Amino acid sequence: MDPVAPAALDPARLRGLQLAGVASGFTAGAWLGAAEAPTKMVVLGLSPVVISLAMVVGVFLARWSLPALLRGTTAIGADVRQAPHLVVWAVLAGCLWAVANTLTIYAIKDIGLSVAFPLWNANSLLGILWGAVFFNELREAGWSRVVAVLGGAAVMCAGATLLAVASAAQAPAGHAARGVAAALAAGALWGTMYIPYRKAYLTGMNPLAFVTFFTVGELAMMSALALADRGGLAPLVAELSGARDVLFWLLLGGFVWVVGDLFQQYAAKYVGISRGIPLSNTNQLWGLVWGLLVFGELHGGARATYAQVIGGSLLMALGAALIALASATGPEHRRWQEAAAREGQRYGIDPAVVRAGLAGESTGGPARRRTWLDWALVTGATAVFVALGLVARVPDLRLGWAWVAGLTLALLALLGGTGILLWRTTRFN
Amino acid sequence: MTGRFAVMLRDAQFWVPVAVLFGGLLVLIWIR
Repeated sequence: MDPVAPAALDPARLRGLQLAGVASGFTAGAWLGAAEAPTKMVVLGLSPVVISLAMVVGVFLARWSLPALLRGTTAIGADVRQAPHLVVWAVLAGCLWAVANTLTIYAIKDIGLSVAFPLWNANSLLGILWGAVFFNELREAGWSRVVAVLGGAAVMCAGATLLAVASAAQAPAGHAARGVAAALAAGALWGTMYIPYRKAYLTGMNPLAFVTFFTVGELAMMSALALADRGGLAPLVAELSGARDVLFWLLLGGFVWVVGDLFQQYAAKYVGISRGIPLSNTNQLWGLVWGLLVFGELHGGARATYAQVIGGSLLMALGAALIALASATGPEHRRWQEAAAREGQRYGIDPAVVRAGLAGESTGGPARRRTWLDWALVTGATAVFVALGLVARVPDLRLGWAWVAGLTLALLALLGGTGILLWRTTRFN
Repeated sequence: MTGRFAVMLRDAQFWVPVAVLFGGLLVLIWIR
């Protein structure tokens, strides 16, 4: 046994944390999937890279709206002072996300969604590999749990493939080799992006603090990519200002995405990346539900298409259930603690902070008071959303409004239910 | 603070995402 490892966690406490992590993974899937919905309101011919940039601006601003009230600048400052090097990791993760997202745009253009999606969805398998190699995940988990996680991820990949085939409107004529390279690279980037996530949470950083710097990296990298794509600042600004009456929908997509990402962070923290990534990959299922029910996609499609949708959905649900039921037990969690303790020792972080982070507890840092800066940031970010909302144009689309209401209620129920569970179990630590 | 950044630069795990990021950027440059 590792001499620096702390005492094992109480089994009841561990079960509570695992439940909170699994619920966070499913809620992340629902919100990340719903993030596509507002962007479908944008029907004019904007460049995909500019659409991505506008969404990332929404993500950046959204971080400073409601979530800023959960953990303000004072608490984030305390987190940074505790482990300043983790800021670099968070920015790095944001850069990985932005490059991966841009690659998927080109992959879809070159080889179509049905081929591209399964390739980048392999990110969950890569995440399982990194989790096991670097962070002791699935060690001493028992064969049944290892098989359930690997099998569940594989079944989810198969289900995702069926859904992608059903979703693909047409096979584009592009450059096959480039498209495959782009999709594989996106999968590698997204699978590797979780190394910084796990690294941060093993040494006690709060997910809300991590997301703050993640969005900085995301915005900086996406801005650089958009500038390169558009050929300079002037054309980019011209395209953005020409689209100001639809920017609200893109920013709203970013807002919904950041809520999903926050839950994804808590999933990565409490169930690890080997389980957290596949669970949040259920976002594809939710994206399809919005497309089918609200936007009438696949309406009048062939019977085979509906069979693919039903089969793919069932496979994804089965895979997610397998993973959810294979949560970490005491011996495996002990190995996580050993990895965390080694990490803390390497970076000279207070062992109490490391132990508290993994146990979902506070280290008695500064009170959750809000400063004038927090209120100014919340007011400013909210004002941008309101201002763009006032000039937003509602496109002439036939939408299933009853389904919009039903799905929005489902999202809010998941947000409220998982939020309360996380608060009761971890106080959002 | 400087010590932790120095440790990070010697941490092999740090260079995995950095390498993957540069690889991704190279692929992006190639396909565009």
